[in-house]
Amino acid sequence: MSSYETLHHGLSAPICLTWEVTYACNLACVHCLSSSGKRAPDELTTAEARALIDEWAAMQVFYINVGGGEPLARPDFFELMEHALERRIGVKFSTNGTLLDRAAARWIASTDYVDVQISLDGASPEVNDAIRGRGTFQHARRAMELLAGEGFRFKVNHVVTRRSFDQLDALYELVTGMGGQLRVTRLRPSGRGAAVWHALKLTQEQNRRLYAWLRTHPDVLTGDSFFHLSALGAPLDGLNLCGAGRIVCCVDPRGDVYACPFVLAPEFRAGNVRERSFASIWRDSPLFRRLRAREVEGRCRSCGAYGRCHGGCMAAKHFTGASLDDPDPECVFEPETGPTSTLIPLPLTPRPLRPVPLR
Amino acid sequence: MRRSDRIRLDEAVALRRERFGALAYSYRDRQLLFIDRRLLPFVSSDGGRPVGEIADELIDRGDLQEDAVPHLMTVLEGLRRKGIVHVVV
Ligand code: SF4
Ligand code: SF4
Repeated sequence: MSSYETLHHGLSAPICLTWEVTYACNLACVHCLSSSGKRAPDELTTAEARALIDEWAAMQVFYINVGGGEPLARPDFFELMEHALERRIGVKFSTNGTLLDRAAARWIASTDYVDVQISLDGASPEVNDAIRGRGTFQHARRAMELLAGEGFRFKVNHVVTRRSFDQLDALYELVTGMGGQLRVTRLRPSGRGAAVWHALKLTQEQNRRLYAWLRTHPDVLTGDSFFHLSALGAPLDGLNLCGAGRIVCCVDPRGDVYACPFVLAPEFRAGNVRERSFASIWRDSPLFRRLRAREVEGRCRSCGAYGRCHGGCMAAKHFTGASLDDPDPECVFEPETGPTSTLIPLPLTPRPLRPVPLR
Repeated sequence: MRRSDRIRLDEAVALRRERFGALAYSYRDRQLLFIDRRLLPFVSSDGGRPVGEIADELIDRGDLQEDAVPHLMTVLEGLRRKGIVHVVV
């Protein structure tokens, strides 16, 4: 049975459930997918968040990907995570690392089902800080050291850009040298990422080199992020299709449920957990039903690589103004568009670190 | 895997029923596996009966083809190697 047939009727619960717990963040990275910065006044309360976790446990959600904003900026973060773990929901959370102190590192290392991803967008302060803000490289490194000091195998999440591409090997050495594991993620034109997409997206040549690099680094995780590159040859690990609404969904800090964390737009909003149960949104929302039945049409259907790429990323198409039936804007068979210089000036600058009370 | 082996699910693995069968998730190494419907009676058994006996029962009920059994044993062996099921000793 193909992945499409398996997923056509939908799963009883998502596999990859991202929960953005807050829009609050002490940084303002130029490519933030959720345009985070300020806490939204109507974010889910602790009681609402706990009830949502209970519902996920009843649906047998195996694990949640917790993001934001900066999850550690939420005062009840540890309480909510403990609540999830008590209900046998594993937690994978992403953090910028700036608020991760020794106590947090100890707590993380003491749990069985918590994975942590620290965001790092370059192997040097020059490259990373131009995207994430002054001082953030050192803070992320400090967080890695704290976790390594507790004997915890952390992950580093790296959004690969044309500026950081040449540092992939150095970043790999840095992370694995500290006992961590590298995960690379594709830049999408979502949130603030739309404004910097043309300046930071990989060139076609870098995309080809990245595919070869990933094939020789099987220990590097991709979260199925680069499946559009599978069109270049043997498929990369993963399902190699857009999972939005099929296996993926995202709950935002206000309880809005979206098809994927990279499509926080009204067209891709399936409902709100304050109005309907998460389970009924997941199982029956017209949007999710449509996405499950959907296959990319157009030129992709006559492409020899369709079985490996399935037309690419819906978010990348939507936020570049393409039709969802068009090929992925980074389709490996499309010609280069725009300049290939690796140092195009950024239209946005990251804000330097702001203090946020931790607990 | 032999017909006389009795198997049970690893205690760190959760099984969630789906239309196609089930999803198995290992909390130990974060592996996620799609389990075909035909494997479910074996994977969700508690180690009380040999796999051959379960297979015979499914064949009698018409839920399994006899010639599919060797392949099924290979798949179960694969699940054992991945730590999803254990042979009860
Ligand atoms: S044409 Fe479509 S299916 Fe073919 S490689 Fe490009 S995006 Fe993928
Ligand atoms: S829209 Fe893009 S990021 Fe979202 S699930 Fe689909 S392929 Fe992945």
